[in-house]
Amino acid sequence: MAVKLDPLPQIYFDDVKIGDELLGFGYKLDWTEMVKQVSGSQDFYAVHHDPEFAKSGGHKDIFYNTGWTRSQLYRLLSDYAGPEGWVRKLHFEMRRMNRPNNSIRVKGKVADRKVTPDGNEVHIELWIENDEEGVATPASGVVFLPSRR
Amino acid sequence: MKVPERQFDIEKIRAEYVGKKGQRKDGLYPVEHDPIRRHEHMCYGRNPLFLDPEYGKQSKYSTNIAPGVMADYFAGDGTWPGWAGGDIAGRAMGEAALDVPTLGDKAINLSTTWEFIKPIKIGDRLWSQPGIADVFMKPIRLDPKAVWVVNETRFYNQDDELVAISRNTGLRHRSPEEVAADPDTARLQRQ
Repeated sequence: MAVKLDPLPQIYFDDVKIGDELLGFGYKLDWTEMVKQVSGSQDFYAVHHDPEFAKSGGHKDIFYNTGWTRSQLYRLLSDYAGPEGWVRKLHFEMRRMNRPNNSIRVKGKVADRKVTPDGNEVHIELWIENDEEGVATPASGVVFLPSRR
Repeated sequence: MKVPERQFDIEKIRAEYVGKKGQRKDGLYPVEHDPIRRHEHMCYGRNPLFLDPEYGKQSKYSTNIAPGVMADYFAGDGTWPGWAGGDIAGRAMGEAALDVPTLGDKAINLSTTWEFIKPIKIGDRLWSQPGIADVFMKPIRLDPKAVWVVNETRFYNQDDELVAISRNTGLRHRSPEEVAADPDTARLQRQ
């Protein structure tokens, strides 16, 4: 089977306004997602997939790992940057946990835009929130976008 | 590396460790499609720049690229058969030369910053160099003598071009029993 994916839409720097919301996404962290977390990150530390192990260390349950966390945030930025843009920076803070059966949402909004010698910078506030803890992972990012001119 | 307080001198530790570089580490395998597919499966990504070979060929990169946050994956050697997945203490956690002395051995990972400099392309061979960017003491609620460490890893491709930088800030603190037994604790918590 050949892979055939539609191109992501391209947003241009000229059209960006501070406060614009990014097209976020979300889903429920069921057990299939836990397995995908281990597969996708290749992080086999048991605190992220073995509830008994996690509880023996004083945790309420397993919690999703750093590789999973950064992939969600990077996806939001790279989807926004589009085929001609570039994700330049990502910063995130592991403040609270994302656990099994949480429903998560990955969201973002434009915090600033400026032309610099390096490119057309769009600064983005983004985060992962869940229905148990609220904002679990505050983050920020910078993407370069093409100009229409 | 947990050390007794009589051996702990933050200024000497800073002088020895801040700016210290570790050894070059080469990725075991080249940048490949399938780990990228698994990564995108994990986050419901459908970016053809990462996943669609035909689209990649026609893109400005002339091939597929990897999500920048996979730099450490492709510059590493993965989880190798033999580690059963139990306590992480049984796993090699990095080279001893960069194991900063701290007063406690309880670890908290706080934040990570990535900079993405150049595209990571299919077929690239990545390598990395770790280092210590900063070490300092800063109190936290659990421990007035927590030691914070900023690790910086630089990732390069086969042409020795810098492709990404990651900086991870974490700290190590003492157990509540160790903090309670420290005669300085009451004075420091009043400050």
